[in-house]
Amino acid sequence: MRNRKRVGWHKYVNGVSISTLVTVLFILIPLYWLVASSFKAPNSIGNSPPSLGPTPFSAANYSNAFVGYDFGIYFRNSIIVTLCATALVLILGTLAGYALGRLPMRGKFTTLVILLMISVFPAVAVIAPLYLLMRDIGWLNSYQGLILPYTAFNLPFAIWILRNYMLGIPKEMEETGRIDGAGALRTVWTIVLPQALPGLFTAGIFCFTACWTEFLMALTFNDANNYRTIPVGIGEFGGNFSVPYGTIFAASVVAVVPIGILVFIFRKFVISGLTSGAVKG
Amino acid sequence: MTAISSASGQSASGQVGTAVVPPKPRPDVNRKRLARMGWGFSAPALIVIAAVTIFPIVYSVIMSLNNVTVTGSGFSLDGFTFSNYNLLIHASLWRDALFFTVYYTVVTVIVELVLGTCIALVLERLVAGRGWMMALLLIPWSMITVINAELWQYIDQGTYGVASYILGGLGFHPVILGTPTPAIIALMIADIWKTTPFVAIIVLAGLVMLPGDVYEAAEMDGASSWKTFWTITLPLLRPTIALAVMFRVLQAFGLFDLPYVMTNGGPGTSTTSLAILAYNALFKNLAFGAGAAVASSTALLVLLGCLASLRVFRVQVGQEGN
Repeated sequence: MRNRKRVGWHKYVNGVSISTLVTVLFILIPLYWLVASSFKAPNSIGNSPPSLGPTPFSAANYSNAFVGYDFGIYFRNSIIVTLCATALVLILGTLAGYALGRLPMRGKFTTLVILLMISVFPAVAVIAPLYLLMRDIGWLNSYQGLILPYTAFNLPFAIWILRNYMLGIPKEMEETGRIDGAGALRTVWTIVLPQALPGLFTAGIFCFTACWTEFLMALTFNDANNYRTIPVGIGEFGGNFSVPYGTIFAASVVAVVPIGILVFIFRKFVISGLTSGAVKG
Repeated sequence: MTAISSASGQSASGQVGTAVVPPKPRPDVNRKRLARMGWGFSAPALIVIAAVTIFPIVYSVIMSLNNVTVTGSGFSLDGFTFSNYNLLIHASLWRDALFFTVYYTVVTVIVELVLGTCIALVLERLVAGRGWMMALLLIPWSMITVINAELWQYIDQGTYGVASYILGGLGFHPVILGTPTPAIIALMIADIWKTTPFVAIIVLAGLVMLPGDVYEAAEMDGASSWKTFWTITLPLLRPTIALAVMFRVLQAFGLFDLPYVMTNGGPGTSTTSLAILAYNALFKNLAFGAGAAVASSTALLVLLGCLASLRVFRVQVGQEGN
């Protein structure tokens, strides 16, 4: 405090900037370690003491993840399951969100409270019956066997987000559409949906992230190599005695990049979703 | 589109314009029609949710009260029994798992809350680059937990992990993931790394929304910034924080990914959470009755938590409802 007037550097070096720097390092150092280790040569990843940087630099882990292991398959499966589930969630969620937000339904309050409660229920509570059921109908190791539960588990939060956006749309706009003679579905499509677009982005990015990272159901329902998603694939790389960390980290970097880009682009919507009450950790 | 122009042409405000339009059905008929339409629109979503969440939860309870026989092609429920729950009550495994899940949750939530609030307070004062900091905070949030687990497992690895190396330099030589207490601490650190940024964002959003005039008043009264924080900021933030904590705690009963990959519930059973216990009973021991009992008891605990915080849920729905 005494130095404030005398020294110009106090403008740059103060409690706020130092704490910010500590926060940045707290987040970045483990991430740096992930990326650096992915570029180390496979035989130097187990060196002790570990080298600080990727020396010698090597991309062998990356080719190994795709050639030696089936990371390409896992990546494809994750894309298929995540995109299908997100699309379904947005379609069903928009309809339900519109209805629960704007239409005079008796019992919608209770429905919303129950939906909010379902959104905190752990997946472990359902896997036993779902597993047996899916085994009965032959859905184990299939895409629909993950798409359906992912859709169901992410719908409550999406409905919640979309319903809150729908509440904010001025009533006149919708009624104008009705006078115009537009059918109910077309009213939603042409008038309500454009207004709720931010809500769609928010719900979409949350659903995408949740499906992309989900582990327990994917592990339980889709354990065959051809149907594994990225989290299961990466988790099972380490099944043997020596864990191929280099390969794991190379695959991890590839897996984290798409979601990182999406989250970065849509960060505004992610933050609005995180702060809209019902929050997913 | 023509309707918009004609409506606004008739009167200055659109609201009056729509009220004037003559051939409108009687309100109660219209209301019924709209309500039917509403349930029609919601039905697909609600059916999917019920089929995959509510029905299996109920069925899980039924399974837990039956002798379940799983054969190569199917399964059968062979009569009522309470023995699945006897296993639960008399074996120490369930109590240990419950204890681990609860105290892991309590410790991580408290640490994440304190650290996250500190970070949020700092970021609120940050003038330049706050947007970038927010983007950075979102990276751990969007991280696949399995990757987080593998990364920290590597960092804590006994022979070549960098944490073991640094601790060795300081004169400690624990086998981090092979000893119960260090393994639990290692798990907590990995959790804290992933979740603290998320808490910081929520608290920051709460901070930004606080009214500015109370601060000015406090400043004029000559209150220290420490006192302002305790007497003004924190009480005002309480609803935001309480909500975040409630959701975190309820979700924490599903704790699975991190300990499953990082320590596989070990060493021994020291990091076996309720979800891991249920998973192992179901898919390692193929004891579906016992597994369903563990899963159902977990669901029951979450349900009790939900009912205890029913008011919070209702307020959440109600405050924005009409």
